[in-house]
Amino acid sequence: MIKKIKNNLFTVIIILAYITLLIFNKPLAITSLKNSGYYIKEMLIIMPIIFVLTALLDTWINKETIMKFLGKESKIKGSLLAFVLGSVSAGPIYAAFPICVMLHKKGASIKNIVIILSTWAVVKVPMLINEVKFLGFHFMIIRWVLTLIAIFVFASIMNSFIKDEDLLVDEAYYDGKVNINIRACIGCGICKAKYPELFEIDGKKAHIKDIEDKDIDNAKLQNAIKNCPVKAIKE
Amino acid sequence: MDIFTLSMWVLTIAFSIYSFYKDKDKTKNALKNALKMGKSMALSIFSIIFLIGLVLAFIPAQSIASFIESQNPFVATIGSAFIGAITLIPAFIAFPLVGTLVNASINIVAAVAFLTTLTMVGIVTFPLEKKEFGLKFAISRNVLSFIFAILISLLMGVLL
Repeated sequence: MIKKIKNNLFTVIIILAYITLLIFNKPLAITSLKNSGYYIKEMLIIMPIIFVLTALLDTWINKETIMKFLGKESKIKGSLLAFVLGSVSAGPIYAAFPICVMLHKKGASIKNIVIILSTWAVVKVPMLINEVKFLGFHFMIIRWVLTLIAIFVFASIMNSFIKDEDLLVDEAYYDGKVNINIRACIGCGICKAKYPELFEIDGKKAHIKDIEDKDIDNAKLQNAIKNCPVKAIKE
Repeated sequence: MDIFTLSMWVLTIAFSIYSFYKDKDKTKNALKNALKMGKSMALSIFSIIFLIGLVLAFIPAQSIASFIESQNPFVATIGSAFIGAITLIPAFIAFPLVGTLVNASINIVAAVAFLTTLTMVGIVTFPLEKKEFGLKFAISRNVLSFIFAILISLLMGVLL
């Protein structure tokens, strides 16, 4: 229970905030809920296909292709592709998160990930049309060009000091029953030796194989957890 | 649904059918992974959405406009950049709002700072960004976006 609260602290705080507000200022709480309605619609319209698209691309596009087109060696062409990908996509910025995480795992460079994320957030054709309507073409085009230059510049800056390992967080994706802290894992292979049906070593790090939670043998799992020298396996 | 969202639906559905035709098992696996991904992000996304609702209830769009109007240019610029960073206001509300400010030539720099941080910097989406990309990446991207948003707004002030 305490572990669950700790893992979802953010959600718990939001729920508590709403409860407090409901008690002390009911109208404001209702306004908040109504405000959220628009964003829920915005999310439901895009997120289901984002997840399907990400998983399908993950399945069908191999590492070499991603590396070639969006990797470190892709130079300016890769950045332009990243820019186009971000610009034509729809949805709020968090819709870009799963796709970018997947692309990075497959070898896209930090620079190109930042470009996709930022253009995804900023460059939206329907939004640009709105901007022209209310602020004029002159205003829109200057702001748009300046923003693009800024994105390319700070993407290069981030590329210079963020390392690929910095992005490897605890398996954010497939957090089922078992998680591996990729940053702590040294790839020793003991977990694989203890429980080969669950663990595999790929790219010098341990990974969880795709098996149903109910099929996990708890005794073998506990044995693997106990024997991990860096305590990187979490339940 | 705008044309871009619609084309993403069409593209994804076409891709799924093609994938299913090519390899049934791989497709089933991919759909399973999509569901897992959705499950792992759903709670965070809902929390973010309800946080946005809360923030907007406390800082309604109209009060942002009067804030930009009333302060001295420096305070207004930094302040509106911060407000833009913590809120997520849909374009169809943000642009008319900023439009009235700019057309009254109240404070273009502050208005641009607000518009730019609104989309580029996401304090409410930060917990999710941190979860997906790690702390260092999330902080760097948001801080750099914020700094560049201020630079853009200053340049706009000179150019317009």
